[in-house]
Amino acid sequence: MSHVDLNCRPVLASHVRLKIDPVSGDPILLFPEGVLILNSTAHDILVLCDGKVSGHEILTALSAQFEVDEPTLRSDVVECLADLLQRNLIIFKS
Amino acid sequence: MKYRPYALLAELTYKCPLHCPYCSNPVRYPQGEELAAGEWKRVFAEAARLGVLHLGLSGGEPLARHDLAELVAAAREAGLYTNLITSAIGLDQKRLAGLQKAGLDSIQISFQSDEPGQADAIAGAHAHQRKLEAARLVREIGLPLSLNVVLHRRNIDRLEKIIALAESLDVIRLELANVQYYGWGYLNKNELLPTREQVQAAAATASAAKARLAGKFELVYVLPDYYETRPKPCMQGWGQRYLTVNPVGNVLPCPNATSIENLAFENVRKQSLAYIWNESDCFNRFRGTEWMPLPCRECPQREIDFGGCRCQAALLTGEASATDPVCEFSPHRDVVDRFLSGVANAAVQSNGLIARRNP
Repeated sequence: MSHVDLNCRPVLASHVRLKIDPVSGDPILLFPEGVLILNSTAHDILVLCDGKVSGHEILTALSAQFEVDEPTLRSDVVECLADLLQRNLIIFKS
Repeated sequence: MKYRPYALLAELTYKCPLHCPYCSNPVRYPQGEELAAGEWKRVFAEAARLGVLHLGLSGGEPLARHDLAELVAAAREAGLYTNLITSAIGLDQKRLAGLQKAGLDSIQISFQSDEPGQADAIAGAHAHQRKLEAARLVREIGLPLSLNVVLHRRNIDRLEKIIALAESLDVIRLELANVQYYGWGYLNKNELLPTREQVQAAAATASAAKARLAGKFELVYVLPDYYETRPKPCMQGWGQRYLTVNPVGNVLPCPNATSIENLAFENVRKQSLAYIWNESDCFNRFRGTEWMPLPCRECPQREIDFGGCRCQAALLTGEASATDPVCEFSPHRDVVDRFLSGVANAAVQSNGLIARRNP
């Protein structure tokens, strides 16, 4: 699994578009020859990935939004970002 | 809605400055006028309403259309993810800027080889150097770049160097696609078919490179299906996910479908895309499993490979509903085996390639 440093500021890679599938209503990522259907956690994380806020700040924003214990939320965010990084769908700005 | 199209391939024109001997365009071009910009815009909007997410703008060479940026803008407005599939000939800074402004999402450039002389010989044009320059311009302007390289007997041994070329051009995706033997490729198959040894070496090279490049860019390796024992799940099933609109407005379940005789195509000038997708005989002909002959009908793989490729079945057996002859259970597998033994016996000899002609 790719290393996720929460000090970095994640952003969608330039070839990736986040949108809502007009047919299913699901949040999706579109990229050349591919579609990834997002679960709601991944969507909540990705809408915050603007390259300006850090992984830590995303964590803080989400803990204000959801009543989940910090370790669980942290592990969800790290896992999600690592998966997207491995698929080349996001990049980390340092 | 039982079936939903996810991707539309828009073949904007058959005109092309290259003459690749495996071109996916038909050998016999259909009659008719190219669709005008207004007609394409309506097609894009209708496609988006049907559920299409991806649009490939292809040809021929789509840059031969001077209204390309206008079409990209319309696709973007319809919400489609738009990929330009191009030879890059004619892709200068000004056109790139116009396409970027119109909202183009990504660009896929074809390369014929990493080696300039070989690449130009295959393309039948002085193209390689211009492609390299265009690829650099694409990255400079900040558009995502993919490469597509078609593999065959003459260039498949250069796979390491071809992959290195893609790395040097800062791509997000490299598609290494063995020739599929229809149309022009079929005419040239004795010149293009690789040997089994070449195919095995290339598969190992691609697999190692894919592992090495994971996290950098996506590497896709498309097998040459003649060397497989089971057919490819062509188009993920006929009329399941994909549709192609050709330059004269005919709507095809696969880009090669015009090669199937006795198959009538509907045209976007006369019918809506929704009608053609949902109701037409053409799109319904090979949906589901009812149409399948034996051995497909009773095969546990029938919902996995869908009986393989209809165009290949038609080409090699004369019957579009036959089991794809690539399948080891096809009664026609011997046709494919004869082609392969011909390759194994022939030293690399050349009677010359038949170059693709423009209409």
